[in-house]
Amino acid sequence: MSPSTPSPIAFPDIVLPESARRLRAEVRAFLDEERARGTVLGRPDSWLAGWDDGFSRRLAERGWVGMALPTEYGGAGRGFLERYVVIEELLAAGAPVSAHWVSDRQAGPSILQHGTEEQRRFFLPEIAAGQCFFSIGMSEKSSGSDLASVSTRAQRTTDGWRLTGTKMWTGGAHVNDYAIVLARTDDAEDRHAGLSQFIVDLRAPGVRVEPIHLMSGEHRFNAVHLEGVDVPDGMLLGQQGDGWKQVTGELAFERSGPERYLSTFPLLISLLRELEQRPPTAEQLTQVGVLTARLHSIRRLSLGVAAALDAGSAPDTQAALVKDLGTRLEGTLTDTVRSILPTPADPHATPGTHPELLAFALLHSPGYTLRGGTNEILRGIITRGLEQRR
Amino acid sequence: MNTHTIDTGTPVIPADAYDTTVFYADADAIATVTNTTAPDAVALPCQDASTAELLAAAQEAGHRAVPAPLAETALVARPLLRRAGLPVPDGPLSYAIAPELTIRYAHPAASPVGSAGCLGHDDSLLVTGTLRRVPWARAATAVVVLATAPSGPVLFTLTPDQAILTPGGNLAEEPRDDLHLAPLEIPAAQVRRISPELLDEARLRAALARSALIAGAAERCVDLTVAHTTARTQFGRPLSRFQAVKQEEARLIEEAALVRAAVHAAAAPLDTGGAAAHFTVAAAKTQASASAAEVTRIAHQLHGAIGITRLNPLHLATTRLWSWRDEDGDETYWAHRLARPLTATALWPTLTTTP
Repeated sequence: MSPSTPSPIAFPDIVLPESARRLRAEVRAFLDEERARGTVLGRPDSWLAGWDDGFSRRLAERGWVGMALPTEYGGAGRGFLERYVVIEELLAAGAPVSAHWVSDRQAGPSILQHGTEEQRRFFLPEIAAGQCFFSIGMSEKSSGSDLASVSTRAQRTTDGWRLTGTKMWTGGAHVNDYAIVLARTDDAEDRHAGLSQFIVDLRAPGVRVEPIHLMSGEHRFNAVHLEGVDVPDGMLLGQQGDGWKQVTGELAFERSGPERYLSTFPLLISLLRELEQRPPTAEQLTQVGVLTARLHSIRRLSLGVAAALDAGSAPDTQAALVKDLGTRLEGTLTDTVRSILPTPADPHATPGTHPELLAFALLHSPGYTLRGGTNEILRGIITRGLEQRR
Repeated sequence: MNTHTIDTGTPVIPADAYDTTVFYADADAIATVTNTTAPDAVALPCQDASTAELLAAAQEAGHRAVPAPLAETALVARPLLRRAGLPVPDGPLSYAIAPELTIRYAHPAASPVGSAGCLGHDDSLLVTGTLRRVPWARAATAVVVLATAPSGPVLFTLTPDQAILTPGGNLAEEPRDDLHLAPLEIPAAQVRRISPELLDEARLRAALARSALIAGAAERCVDLTVAHTTARTQFGRPLSRFQAVKQEEARLIEEAALVRAAVHAAAAPLDTGGAAAHFTVAAAKTQASASAAEVTRIAHQLHGAIGITRLNPLHLATTRLWSWRDEDGDETYWAHRLARPLTATALWPTLTTTP
C-alpha cells in the first residue's frame, strides 16, 4: 500500500519467511514439553523475572538462543523475523527467558558487529549455547535518561584498563557472567565522544554486586560497584571513543521487540480463563476486544520494525514509537483486567491464580514505561523524527 | 462552489490555504473528484486494482476529505456487484447492508423456482421500508442493497430516483440520506440470491473501507498539527519546542500509525476471507474507531482556537473522524465480534494467524 501522500513515519511491508510457520509450530511443541516439565508457568514480565539457566540451555540446544548469529560462530544463521517468531512465542507463554535475554538481544549482536575476531570466537558460541549470560552496565545513579553523563571511568594501565564507578539497575548481575559496561575513557569536550564499551567479567576481583530490591521484594536489579577492576585490552568492545555510537546503534533492537508489549499478556490469558466460567458481560467483551485490537495493531508495528532491521536499516524513530505504544498498553491491560473483573490483587494467593498474577503484574507495572528509555524521552525522539522528515 | 472569506471580504487566510472544493460537497465537487481529468483529483481507482491499492486510495480520500463516495464505490459496492454477478454501473455508488425492509416476491407463485446464486424464473422483488443514512445516496448512480428475502439473502440494486429521498448528513455534512421505498418493485434482472457469506463479506468490506478513511483522516490530523506547531510561535519559540506539546504530539503520531498498521494488516486477509479476514477487519475497525477520540482530542488541543473554526481545515478531518467511527459498526460492535470467539487457548493463535 503506497498512498501518494507518503506516511510521515513509514513501516515496511511484513513478509514472514516460509520457515516461520514451521518454526512457530516447533516452538509451541517445545513449550508444551516445558509446560509438562513445570518450567513454563504463564507468568507476566518473564523476560525480567523468569531466570532459569536450565530452560535457557534447552532452548539453546534447539538453536533458539543467538539464532541470528552466523553459523561459523555457533549461531543458527537465521533472520530477525525468525528470531521474532521465537521470542514472541516464548513471551506470550510467559516462559522464563531472562537468563539469556540480554545475551541474545544485545550482547550477541553487539559483539558480532563491534567485537574483535577473538571476542567473537570466544563469546558468541558460548552465548548461542546458553552457557554465557550477560547484563547491561549503562545506567548510573546520576545517569538515567541522560546516559551521556556517565561518570564510571576507565583509566589506561600498561596492558589494559582499570574501571572505577558504580552501575545501577544492573539486572541479573548477581547471577550472570559478564556485563557490557559503558565508561568514560577521555574527557573530551563533546561528552558523547569520550565513551567506550567494555566487557567486564562479573566474577573479576574488584567487582562488588550489591542487591537492589524491587518494591515487590524481588531481587532482580543490582548496583555493580567497580572498585578498580582490571580489564584486559582484549575486552574493549569496539573502538575507543565509539561507545556512544555503539550504544545508540542498539536502540532499535532494544526498543521495538515483542517484550515491549507482551509483558502483561499472560494476565489477559488468565482473564479469559476466568471469563470462561460464566457468560461475559457486554463491557467485558468490549474491553477484551479493544485490548486485542490494540495488541494486534502494535504487534504489526513491532513486526514492521523487525522487517526494517532485517532489511538493514536503523528505524530508531519507529522503535521509539513502538515502545511508547506497547509499554503503555502493558499498563493499560493490567488496569483494564482489574476493572472488568474486580479481583483484589493478592501476592500471597496460590502462584498462577488470577489474584496472584494480577498482583505480580501490578507490582511490576511502573517499570514498563521506564526501562529501555523513559517514554517521555522517547516521545521527544518521535517528534524530532517526524519534523526531520518534513 | 464556496469560497472562503469573512464578512469584510478580506481573507483571513489565503484562499489557497486549503482546497475549498472539499469543504462543502456539491455536484461539481463530486464531478471533480470522480473525473480522472481533473488535475488535483483523487480518481476512482480502476476496476482491477488490488485490495491494497484500493485501501491506499481510500486512505488518500480520507486524508483529503474527498467529497465523493470513493471508498464506498471502490471497496464496497463494486466488488459486491461483481461477486453477485451483476453489472457494475459507471459513477459513484453506495450501499445499504442489512436494512430493515419488508421484502416479498412480486410474483409469489413463481418465486420457489430460483436456486441460490441463480436467477429464478421470476425473482422480482417487492420492497417496502426505509434505507437509513445511505452514504452519498443523492449523488450515487446506484445503491447496492443486501437484505434478506423470504428465500434467504439477496443483493439488489436501485437508483435513488426510484425512492423518496430525505436528505441528511453526518457531522462533516457528508450526505447520509434516507431512501423511502413505498413499495418498490425491483425487476429480477437487478436481483441476485447470495450466500450468507457474501452478506458478511459486505460488512467486512464496509468496515475496512471506513477504517481506511479513518486512517487517512488521522494522518491529516498529524500533518496539520505538526505544521501548526512548527509554524506557530508563542513565548518566542515554536509550539513544537515545548515539552508539553511534544508529549501530546508524539501520542497523536503514534495513534495514527496504529490505525494505519491495523488497516494495512487486513488488506491481504480481506481477499482470502475466512477467520483471518474476520479477525483483522474487526481489529482494524475497532482500533480505527477507538483511536478517533485520542486523535481528535490531541489535534484540536494543539491547534488552539483556530482549530475549532472553519478558518482552518482541521475540522474537515476531525468531524469526519467523529462520524466515521460510528459508521459501518462502531468500536463496541466490532470489539464484540472480535472478542466473542476468543478463549484463553484461542487468543494467541488468533493474534498470530497473520502473518
